[in-house]
This record gives sequence, structure tokens and C-alpha cells, in this order.
Amino acid sequence: MKIIKKRLPLIVLTALLPLGAQAATDDAQKFHQLFEDNCASCHGSDHGGFLAPALNSETLKGRSPTALRTIIMTGSFDTLMPPFYGRLNDDQIRGLVKHLQTTPKLPNPEWTIDDIKKSIKVYVSDESTLPAKPTYDIDNIDNVIGVAARGKYGRGEGSKAVFINSTTHKVIGEVPTGTAAHIIDYNPANPRWAYVKTDTAEIYKVDLYSMQAVRSVKTGYNGPGLGVSRDGKYIMAGSFVPHNAVILDADTLEPLKTFELEGIDPDGKQVSSDSGMVIGTPADDIFAIALENAGQVWVVDLKDGFPVTRITDVGRHLHDAFLTHGGQKLMIASYDDSIVAAIDLKERKIIKKLEAGCVPHVGGGSAVVVDGRTLGFGTNFGDCDKTVVSVWDLDKMEVVKQIPVSGGTESPAAHANAPYVAVDIISKDRRARTVQLIDKKTLEVVKTLDVGGHAYFPEYSADGKFLYVSAGYSGDEVVVYDSTSLEKVASISMESPAGIFSHGRVRYMTRGLSPDEFANAAQGAK
Amino acid sequence: MKLIFAGVLALLSAASANAASIYAGQVRAAAVCSQCHGITVPSAEAPFPSLAGRDADYLQTALKQYRDKTRKSDIMNAIAGSLSDADIAHVAAYYASLKP
Repeated sequence: MKIIKKRLPLIVLTALLPLGAQAATDDAQKFHQLFEDNCASCHGSDHGGFLAPALNSETLKGRSPTALRTIIMTGSFDTLMPPFYGRLNDDQIRGLVKHLQTTPKLPNPEWTIDDIKKSIKVYVSDESTLPAKPTYDIDNIDNVIGVAARGKYGRGEGSKAVFINSTTHKVIGEVPTGTAAHIIDYNPANPRWAYVKTDTAEIYKVDLYSMQAVRSVKTGYNGPGLGVSRDGKYIMAGSFVPHNAVILDADTLEPLKTFELEGIDPDGKQVSSDSGMVIGTPADDIFAIALENAGQVWVVDLKDGFPVTRITDVGRHLHDAFLTHGGQKLMIASYDDSIVAAIDLKERKIIKKLEAGCVPHVGGGSAVVVDGRTLGFGTNFGDCDKTVVSVWDLDKMEVVKQIPVSGGTESPAAHANAPYVAVDIISKDRRARTVQLIDKKTLEVVKTLDVGGHAYFPEYSADGKFLYVSAGYSGDEVVVYDSTSLEKVASISMESPAGIFSHGRVRYMTRGLSPDEFANAAQGAK
Repeated sequence: MKLIFAGVLALLSAASANAASIYAGQVRAAAVCSQCHGITVPSAEAPFPSLAGRDADYLQTALKQYRDKTRKSDIMNAIAGSLSDADIAHVAAYYASLKP
């Protein structure tokens, strides 16, 4: 589920668009609604693209309407694009194609703090009525694994967060999310709360004990950014559309402050920016947020007024990141520079930029201690001749090795108790069915698993005994392997599963690190 | 003795032909069918029927009817038209082998 949205000259386009150009005919409105209801969660409400390509008069110029109609009817093989045959009739499909080929990219729509406030929905008004402990059998809540099931159409009945007991591999709860679930984060201070963010930027506060949503809020139109503060009191969410971020009260989901994401990019241009990753750290009462297009990382202090420290010139088109060294260091990927920048969150400055393969996408990131060294593993889309996974020594901040793998990769998984680091191969052919395993010690690929579907987002269970992998796209299951023998032990059926998030992450901070190290580091930082 | 040996051989080759066709069917189904019909189940939101666990002969007959257009469906006539007899046998064997 590669997020392909590229830099958009938004300000320019907004200025060029005459006011009222969209107030066209009833027909245009009808097809805009059809687009909103079926396409926008992936292609962007502004026609600017998100998980899927931008669809507007510019990007579709010269494309054959017949070919476009065919793609809409049958879906597109090896992508998340589903078949709309039978869901939309021929007139609707023809009309949509015409509408898309004549509609320019729209200005960034507004979504203000008032809109956010008004969007709050309360499903359980009195939380004291919730059960005091899990209503299902589980030894340790860290054994909960959440899967973002997208649903084939990115919306509807198939779209939900599915929670699994990772010792029995049985589903213990399902929370419907309306549109595709994208990110699941857990409250580090109170084990009962999870937060699920959808492709359309709703955040559901989920009670893991009773497996239901208690509240929701819509923070924007789209964008995956979501983080929870170490004290569990705040959530921060960032959007692609519009270009802003918001800090919410983690309890009530009330918005406390919004931030307009803009700044001077590494090339000296003032730009309005998508939000990249948002992360809370066990080391401090802060959030770090990446401004994708501005190439900046902002550190927001969780105190009166939520002041911002801007770290500039981090890289071109930033995206995702992971923490290391007790959460004091942040490793953030820059797509266009093909580097990962190491940032000291205490000093609030760049430590070093490390080589990271082609178009690095670190996913949740992975770091693991091997023979006394803390090694970080970096995946990348590999949009060039060389497909490698980068290994960095995170103490010395240097490249240890670039391990050849069979294709582009999107997300690594490691665990202190598991012998292998798993990476998902995403190249668009048969390789997409596979996950490769790297031996932690020899740093070489030792095995390729044929998972099926479009296999991605590997994740270890909290105890490290099992490896979970989504067989996504047309695949419709999550497959579980024994992490040492690599034998398949279970399969869990769901529609278009994507990201997998272990509750253990609240103890490991970054997948692969030991909880002891985490606890000590958090202690030392106080 | 010879007869038994021939019998074993026949069994072996039948078994391996069968295994091969399910594997080939899996590859073909992933590329051609599963986008709409899913693997074990189609989407809850999709108007397409489930194929997992259906009778292999029924699936073969239906696909051949779609291919020669004795059974009408604009989309299935087009899709089945791209399948060879072997493809149809493999895909039918694969879906028949799955638990719905």
C-alpha cells in the first residue's frame, strides 16, 4: 500500500482556479458525489491522489475513455483497485470517466478546528459502564494484534479493525470503521485504549476490553499520520488534505490545537505540506511530526500553547520514521534524497544522513540488538536497479551493510526473540506474494516465504514466537508462521488486510528492541 | 506384478497431474478471477458469487459456456474468452479444492 502522492504545487493550482469553477451543473455535482462515495478515499477528495493515483484533467489527459472504463469495471490487477462492475452501472461509469477527464485538481478543502469539534461522535457516553477487564480470555493484553482490514472497496462491511489473540490466532473482536482502517496505535499509559485511523481521517477510540468503538472524530479528509503521547493524554493526527495537523485530548477526542503545515523546503521554497509520520516518544513529553513536502520535522512540546521547534533541511519528501535509543533518536526516511536522517530529539538537530537504498519507506521500522550492536533495518521501494535492505549501526550511525533482496520492500519486522528480520517484497509481479527472511547474525537472506495475495506488513507477536503477514489486495487472509521453523500455523480470513500492529509495540517502542532497554531508557530520560 | 506397478505409476502420475493443476490454477486464479471473486470469499460488498469449494465440473462447464457465449454476461464472456481449456481445468480444480 505504497503511498504514492507526490509533491503537489498546491498553492499554484489554487491560485489558478477561478472561484466558482466547481459550481458547475447538477451533473457535475452528481458525479462529484459518486467520486466521493466510491473513489475519493484512495484517490483523494481533491482529485490529487493518496494511496492511488491522482485522477484529474491533467493526469488523465490523452487517456482512452474506453481503457479507463475497463479499469473501473474490472479493477486493476496487482493493485488495490477493485472491480466496480455490478456496483456502478454503465452510465455511471461512462459519466465518471468524463467527469474525471474534465475536472482539474481541486483546491485544498478546509477542515477547521470547528469542523473537527463538530465531527465528534459518542457511541458509549458513560465509560464507567465498560467492563473492568477483557471480556475474552487473554493472558496479557500485549498479545493483542490489530489488523487494518481495508475491505475490498476501501469502505463498507469489509472495512474494520480486526483484533486477534496472537497466542491462539483467534479473532477476539472486530470494530467496523466505515472506510478502510489504515493505522492502529495503542495508548502506552492505559492498556484498554486503541486508536484506529481510517483512510478518510476518522479516528476511532476503541475499548479493547469490550472490543467496541466508544468515540470517533474526523480530523481531515485523508492522511495516515497518528501518534499517542507517552502519558497517554494526547493524540496528534496529520492530514494530506487539508495541510494541517491537530492535537486531540486522547480521552474525549476534543481538538486542542491545529497546526498549518507550511515551511521553507530544502530548496528554499515556501511550501504548504502534507503531513508525514506523527510519533510520540517514551523519552519526552513531545510529538514529532514530519512535513513531507517542506522537508522539516517539527517537535511539539506538550505544554501550554504547544510550542513548535522546527528542524529544517531534513530531506526532500519525508515520509515515515522509527525511534531508537530510548526514543531520543528518530530515524526518518526521505523519498527523494534516498537517505534516512537521524535526528536527536533532545538536542532537536540532525545527527547524520545515512544512505538508505532507493526511495526509502521504513514502515514501522525495526531495530534489534545483535552481538552488542543496535542494528536498524531499512526497507525501500527500490525504484531503481539496486534492491537492497539497508542495515545501520544505530550507535555509531553508520551503514553496516546493504543486503540484496528480490525486490522493493515496504516494511520490516524484527523481534528480540526471533532469529530473522522479515521484509515484504512489493514489486508488482509474482514477487509481491513473498516475504523474505534475513538472518540477524549473518545479515543475509536465508528464506523466501510464498504467502500469497500481495503479502505485506509483517509483524511479530509480542512474545516473538509468531510472524503475522497480510496477504492483501486480492488475497483475503492473514497468514501466521512459527517464527523459528517458518512453518505456516494459521490463517485468518478477512477482506484486503493491510497494516498489522502488535500491542507489544507500546513496550518495544520500535519492533525488535527489548522491553528492558525501553524501560531503562525511559527511566534515564526522566 | 507388472499390473500393480503400472497401477502405482498411473496413481502417481494422476496425483502429480492433479497437484500441478491446482498450483497452476492458483496462479491463474490470482491473476484472473480473485480480483472479483476473492480467494476463499468475495468481498461482502461485491456482487460476485463465491467460488471456493464449488464443484469442479460445474465450474468448468460454466466457464466453457461463458467462453462460447452460450451463457451471457458481458464481463464473464470477455474474461472466460482469455482462458484455454487447460486454464479452465486448472482454475476449476483450484477453486474446488478450497474450503469456503
